[in-house]
Amino acid sequence: MFSSGEMRVKSGLIGIASAALFAVLLAPSIATAQAPKKAPAVINPPPTAQDWADLAKLPDWSGVWNPKISDQDAQVRSNPPPWNEEAAKKVAHMFAEEKAGRPTLIFGNCLPEAHPSWMLVTHNAMEILFTPGRVTMLGESDGNRLRRIYTDGRGHPESSDPTFHGHSIGHWEGDTLVVDTVDIVPQAPLAISEAVGLPNNGDMHVIERIHLADKDILHDDLEIIAPHLLTKPWKTTRIFFRQRARKFDIVEGVCATGDLVERVNADGDHVFVPVQKSEWGHTTAVPAK
Amino acid sequence: MRYVLKSIGAFAVLAVLVGGISQGSAHHSASMFDFTKMQKLKGKVVEMRWVNPHVTITINGAASGEEAPAEWLMETTSPGNLTRVGGWRRDVIKPGDEIEVTFHPLREPDKKQGLLREMKVLSTGEVYPANIRDQEKPGLE
Repeated sequence: MFSSGEMRVKSGLIGIASAALFAVLLAPSIATAQAPKKAPAVINPPPTAQDWADLAKLPDWSGVWNPKISDQDAQVRSNPPPWNEEAAKKVAHMFAEEKAGRPTLIFGNCLPEAHPSWMLVTHNAMEILFTPGRVTMLGESDGNRLRRIYTDGRGHPESSDPTFHGHSIGHWEGDTLVVDTVDIVPQAPLAISEAVGLPNNGDMHVIERIHLADKDILHDDLEIIAPHLLTKPWKTTRIFFRQRARKFDIVEGVCATGDLVERVNADGDHVFVPVQKSEWGHTTAVPAK
Repeated sequence: MRYVLKSIGAFAVLAVLVGGISQGSAHHSASMFDFTKMQKLKGKVVEMRWVNPHVTITINGAASGEEAPAEWLMETTSPGNLTRVGGWRRDVIKPGDEIEVTFHPLREPDKKQGLLREMKVLSTGEVYPANIRDQEKPGLE
């Protein structure tokens, strides 16, 4: 019917059309095969009634916990960290500066004391909350003292996202909470007092066993691994004692107000104005009213 | 010097450069005060800043009989700690109240500043301690 020439042209056109149709049909699967598969989202499941009921089986860590500051003082001498040579020289200098009345201001800019220094040297109260899959510690001074300890069985994330309190995962061994913390910002100090401490410089790993030592005494047994500062892991127990009287309920404390004073301006508006402070952190002058 | 620069945060260095005014401080050591000396001062409250981490009280008074009254600045611990160790409240004193303070003076001479150890409200005779290492026991009321 067709001449051979026409047949050849028609075959060619059919071939091209078929190939095009084939390509269109195949394109999505080709595209999918080449693009990375999107991982399914991890969802934190809503807690069940049983999850809430299980919290009642945990030890009672309610109330307000005060740090035992006299023990912090004692451990400066009785249980020093095993500083490496370079760190030891800096620490010696900081002790000397403090003794001379020029204490180094380690905790400046109203930044968190961070982990583990919050546990080691805080002078402020804290409270501990239990919710399904989580233990949360809240410090008195600012919402910037906040530790989230995940007890829902998750591991540490594969990608690094350093924070002041690190990424903490925990599990209960009887009435002891065992916590593992990594990924703390390298600037966070390893402090043994308010005037002696050094940035951890990265790779710090903290393991804790937190438990009641008595009815109203909480112990945080810390093991601190700081390869840039210490020759070996440092173990220390920090002590907290409990208050239940309502007058000791933690009240909001905003660190920045330590640098400000309340005034009323010329327009009658209530404002905050700066006070003067020394390089060591104490207030040197308050502007007149 | 190297150790000093490495161990003091960058901001503190900047603070020194701009004339010693440090902003955004948090907790600090009290070693700038002279713990070998204890002084007393009677005067009128100018102002109390009930702030975390360090409450301050400005008092107008004379440290000794011969001095003319001047403004002194007392520093102490946080509101929460003061409540525990000394029964303080935000309204424990108001401007104009007559008080007597006991304090460690600043090491730097002639600066009218101190670390408060206790405060006595003269109208009631009530004494309010301010030592954070007091009352280290649970179950206080």
